[in-house]
Amino acid sequence: MSTDRETLTKELMEMVAQEGMVDLSEITPEKRLEDLDIQSADFVMILMAIEEKWGAYISVDNELTDVETVGDLLNLAISKIEEHQAA
Amino acid sequence: MHRVVVTGMGAVSACGLGAQALIEATQAGNSGVKSISFDDLDVQRVNTAARLSDADLASVEAQCANRMRDPVANYALMAAREAVAHAGLEAEHFGDACGVSIGSGFGGAQTLNRNYMKFSVEGSMRLDPMSVPKIMNNAAASWVSMEFGATGPALCLATACSSASQSIGMAWQMVALGQVDRCLAGGSEACLESGVFRVWELLRVMTADANRPFSKDRNGMTLGEGSGILVLETLESATARGAPIICELVGYGTNSDAKDLLRPNADRAVACMRQALKAAGLAPSDIGYVNAHGTGTVANDVNEITALREVFGNAFDTVKISSTKPVHGHALGAAGALELITAIGALQAQLAPPTINFNEVDPKINLDPVANTKQPIQTQAVMSNSLAFGGINATLIAKAYG
Repeated sequence: MSTDRETLTKELMEMVAQEGMVDLSEITPEKRLEDLDIQSADFVMILMAIEEKWGAYISVDNELTDVETVGDLLNLAISKIEEHQAA
Repeated sequence: MHRVVVTGMGAVSACGLGAQALIEATQAGNSGVKSISFDDLDVQRVNTAARLSDADLASVEAQCANRMRDPVANYALMAAREAVAHAGLEAEHFGDACGVSIGSGFGGAQTLNRNYMKFSVEGSMRLDPMSVPKIMNNAAASWVSMEFGATGPALCLATACSSASQSIGMAWQMVALGQVDRCLAGGSEACLESGVFRVWELLRVMTADANRPFSKDRNGMTLGEGSGILVLETLESATARGAPIICELVGYGTNSDAKDLLRPNADRAVACMRQALKAAGLAPSDIGYVNAHGTGTVANDVNEITALREVFGNAFDTVKISSTKPVHGHALGAAGALELITAIGALQAQLAPPTINFNEVDPKINLDPVANTKQPIQTQAVMSNSLAFGGINATLIAKAYG
């Protein structure tokens, strides 16, 4: 994993913790979002924060239907951010 | 109970001015979706909407402008004038014998948005003094009642994306009961304003790509605007004045999920469609075409197709299903009216309009809709669904008259 990726992952984890109102120490990539009690309203807050910081727009749709764990969400966010930066 | 017939239709939409423009565009699959940009928005992630063309906006303005009216009322007036002319109604047909039932989700969005901008950005206290009557949700219904002297009941249901379908359903009930002889019914929406657009963006149900209902690669909806108005009448009254009868409105169902504000519930959509079928005295196999709510969000697609599969049973494989939202957009409080007019157009032409932008069957719902090109149908009856935020479901069924 490149340094950029590592930094991005770390920043995203912090963001998920802050916007999802969960303790950062509880967040690991394997953890299911449901078990962290992160619900649809929290999702919208997390995605808004991602848009504010990195400019990537992720709709609450197909892209999110297969997201179950923190890791799934991070992968999606990273690919969207990279896609946005490349555009 | 009286039989209720449709004797006039009018529409204003991204497809043009007139019900015929809407029907032709949905049949041909010509999308009214256009690029859109707002000067007020520093950040805009979604850049398309099914908005009126500049020429059509200018035409509406020329025919309706009034300093006491927001565009939402102008759209309704345009559609109502067309529907009334189409039905051949004269002054003697209004008064207490005619009701008005026109819903809207947002009401006077332009007036509200401009006031907010002026107040918060410019810090001005010189706001539009006619804001209250322009913003109020029932303004469109009231302006239409004043235009024609329709002094029967004037109603405005504000039930998000079910506003128009419920408004038509409510009109159907009033006419069927004989409370009025006729009713101008439908919905109006003029929501393409910067602040409204931004909050839809933040809800993240809009696609930044293209609207692709039922397609594996769907990724959200596209907002629309406009108005659809129908003239509903008792069969006796239509016959007595020798009016042309477009079709019969035979069924209406409506209910509430009472569960989640945003997430739909398939069981309740099933109950709603069954209620409409029961009112119509029809079996699912009698319905040849369904104009689905079909927003192009995964939540709606899964919910609505699960429900349709349950309702139609063995007939599911033969009924033609499509969403015409990629053509006229999701017009929120006007959606049900634009889509009923579209479904009636399908009934008249015996052609099911296509779901354009469709790429690939989605294994999650396993539906092969009427994709990209219209398909022939042989049917006497068509259905239109509206499944709104707030868990409000509404289904209408139209039948060939005869």
